[in-house]
Amino acid sequence: MNETRHAGYVIETRGLTKRYGKKIAIDHLDLAIESGSIHAIVGANGAGKSTLFRVLLGFLPATSGEARILGRDSRRLTPSDRERIGFVNEEHTLQGWMTVAAVTAMQRRQYPRWSQPAFDEVIGHYNVQVGQKVSQLSRGERAGFNLALSLAQRPELLVLDEPTLGLDVVAKRAFLETLLHSNAVEGCTVIYCSHQMEEVERVADNLIIMERGALRNVSPPDDFRSRVSHWIADIPFRGPDPRTIPGLLDAQRIDGIHHYLVLDQGEEFAEFLHACGARDVHRLPVSLDRAVNSFLSKQHAAPVAA
Amino acid sequence: MRDIFKAEWLRYRLWILAYAVGHLLVLAFFNRLVDLGQQPINVRRLFGAVYAITGILLGLHQMGTWRRPNQWINLLHRPVAPRRIAAGLIGAGAVALLAGVVLPLAAIVAWQAWGTPRIVELRQAILPAAALLIALCGYFAGAYGLLADRRYSAAGLVLLAWIAVADASGPAALAVQALACLWLLAMVLIAFRPDLGEAPRSAMATVVTAVPVQMAVYMLLLLAGFVGELLWIMQGTHPNNMSTPPRGGHVEAERMSGRERMIAGLAGATSTDAALWREQVVLSDVHELDRQVRSIGTRGELNNTMPIEFDDPETRSHWTFSHGRMRFEGTGLADGRPAGELGIGGGNVAFDAVASPAGVLPGIAKGDATIIAGNTLYQYLSAARRVVPRVSVPHGEWLLGTTPIGGSLAVLSDRSVYVVDGRHLLDGETPPVPRYRVPIPGEPGDLYTTELVELVDGYLVSFTFTQRAHTMLGAPPYQTVLWVDDAGRVTPVATHALHQDFPTFYRYTAWWASPVMYRVREMAAGLFAPVDPLGTTAIPPIPGSVRALAAVLALLSLCIGGWVAWRRASSLPARAAWTLGCGIVGIPALVGLLLIVPRREGIVDDTVHAVPAT
Repeated sequence: MNETRHAGYVIETRGLTKRYGKKIAIDHLDLAIESGSIHAIVGANGAGKSTLFRVLLGFLPATSGEARILGRDSRRLTPSDRERIGFVNEEHTLQGWMTVAAVTAMQRRQYPRWSQPAFDEVIGHYNVQVGQKVSQLSRGERAGFNLALSLAQRPELLVLDEPTLGLDVVAKRAFLETLLHSNAVEGCTVIYCSHQMEEVERVADNLIIMERGALRNVSPPDDFRSRVSHWIADIPFRGPDPRTIPGLLDAQRIDGIHHYLVLDQGEEFAEFLHACGARDVHRLPVSLDRAVNSFLSKQHAAPVAA
Repeated sequence: MRDIFKAEWLRYRLWILAYAVGHLLVLAFFNRLVDLGQQPINVRRLFGAVYAITGILLGLHQMGTWRRPNQWINLLHRPVAPRRIAAGLIGAGAVALLAGVVLPLAAIVAWQAWGTPRIVELRQAILPAAALLIALCGYFAGAYGLLADRRYSAAGLVLLAWIAVADASGPAALAVQALACLWLLAMVLIAFRPDLGEAPRSAMATVVTAVPVQMAVYMLLLLAGFVGELLWIMQGTHPNNMSTPPRGGHVEAERMSGRERMIAGLAGATSTDAALWREQVVLSDVHELDRQVRSIGTRGELNNTMPIEFDDPETRSHWTFSHGRMRFEGTGLADGRPAGELGIGGGNVAFDAVASPAGVLPGIAKGDATIIAGNTLYQYLSAARRVVPRVSVPHGEWLLGTTPIGGSLAVLSDRSVYVVDGRHLLDGETPPVPRYRVPIPGEPGDLYTTELVELVDGYLVSFTFTQRAHTMLGAPPYQTVLWVDDAGRVTPVATHALHQDFPTFYRYTAWWASPVMYRVREMAAGLFAPVDPLGTTAIPPIPGSVRALAAVLALLSLCIGGWVAWRRASSLPARAAWTLGCGIVGIPALVGLLLIVPRREGIVDDTVHAVPAT
């Protein structure tokens, strides 16, 4: 039980449960995220991602279990702990009535480790004037400004909760480019929460999948994608009973051809299809987006423990 | 903290500036129409309500915009302690109220003091401070309303209600307001934390939260009783609203004319002269004794409990009583210029109590007026611009009113009725000695009315004690008739108990709903308050049936509270304390327990365990 409790984990939960009345938002979550690199947390709406962040940051008490962030009990975070944790939410909530310069000055005074070069580097990617009011910024500019503020704090852990939600393609790309290429990100562990699989594929070193409050996967994105395979089978008659198909995530019949998305199936799956009457079988790779979506869509097809 | 404060101030500064200007214009307008420094309590209440609502709206808006989950995280997730962030927000709110409420008010007070001959003393000078405290209380109540758990977040309003009903006066009223303000501040600080809406953690925080919540529940119980009374009125069976009140009851007695009441009072008289008196009452004038003073003013009070201004149309002057000088200060009606000072006699001696104009008496000159202060009735002599004493009652008594009766003057005090020879009343410098003194056979707070009939050989005086009979504080209603003979001897003629028109459990609702909360309410209302000599009543003992009902409710609360407490998410000592509290306080504590202490969240069903991650 104590094996995950060492200094290397930036986030650590053990048996973490959060209930809202009878509804379970987080369900006995055992999660350990090592420091360094970018970790993506994905999951459908209601998977418990935002609730998890709120519990981790001490804004919501857990029903049971433990939650630690940067080694500190989430319920006992001190101001100096908060200084080490950056948080960017999807609304990019900032004081709209203040100017960019005023907000920046306030943050600079409050964060002792403030890095002006880091701020200048990130904000340089955006057309933001210091005299502008925050409320006058476009959503993309506000997101960039928020990211610049967060990175200038030089946090050890940066939590980005769907930061590109509602951004157009250009703003989204600018945000991701900044995140990927900024020097300020170096030495910082990033938790990136998003529904956008192309973003996750691009930025994440580690993929964490949550479903209905429970942890379903922790692995590099490519590893997860390689676990999901797309099989095309030409079966002249009815295909096999879906209940008998091992690791089935999704099954479709298009123009008489059977398409199967399956989890953790090797070449033996081809033999299974042949045994079911398939005359011709092909295996195709799948995108991360499709792999994750089919995985999350098939709620009852849980992966087998490795 | 300074940054948060500045940011919040930037946010509200234009709105506050606009509010301050509007406030100043409204005050300046009304100050042209009336003397805002000399207003009765209802006007002060109106202003206080406006300031309280201003504070509530500010608190609701400020905290309402911050309390949304992402905003709240943005505000509190920074290397600044929540208390310091709260101090920044509250500091900005307080400065906003200072600028919007206090500065315009202080400007008007300063204008009054240095720009007009109107009286400005300590009691007017502290009005801006009172306004600030009331506005701050409203602000904290509004802020608490959004920060605390919504099930009990309205409880902060109870402390505003406390300010509204507190009897404290002058600087003591400020002390009550400051206490309410500090309590509300403590509640806000308890609620101001990352995990919004969670139950208070420490024992002290629980007590600070629980007391107003329980008082709010208690007030709601009383409100429910009031709603029930409205239904009673709608039914048409409420004693006060029946076309014909219950026979023999105190409502019937109160609706009688003075003559009818006197005749009813004589109904049980057994004296041999009773039949003759009844005949005389039918034929004679029955005088209901006037009461010009309904409540006693306290020196330095914030509101004018009684009128303290009068005009002299002969000399074209306006006189206002100064609490600081204890004399009347005059201004010209035509030009508003200072017109001197008015004390007692040629020496202009200060009054020994707050003085109030009391109308005129037959025979006084045009422009003259009467003034009541303490135990003495004075006459203001317009021509001589002097005040001379005309009637005095013994020291320790309060003269409440006078009624001319033929050639005599009946004088009502809080303890006695006096009959004074009126023939030489307005002559001379010293008050005459009363011819008769009739002690009031009851407490002044119970006395509803007094009638007097002049007989051939004396007077019949009837006292009806029903003033507070509908409450648990009033004496059981009764009427007493006394005969005063020519020698001044007082003989009881008849005393008869009037029927209670209101059921016992109705009158004692405030008590049996929670005896402890009733006591707390009484203590809070009377905190730092002067004793009201006119409010004394002969409080009857609490009936056994009412005590039994309160005991049953307390026992029920104890049992249910214990059962509930043991199923709530709290420590063993906390559960024991809540259980004990339910037994002592009763229903308010039980409801408080249900509202404040969260349910214990059940263990998650094992059948829905998460599948281990790969």
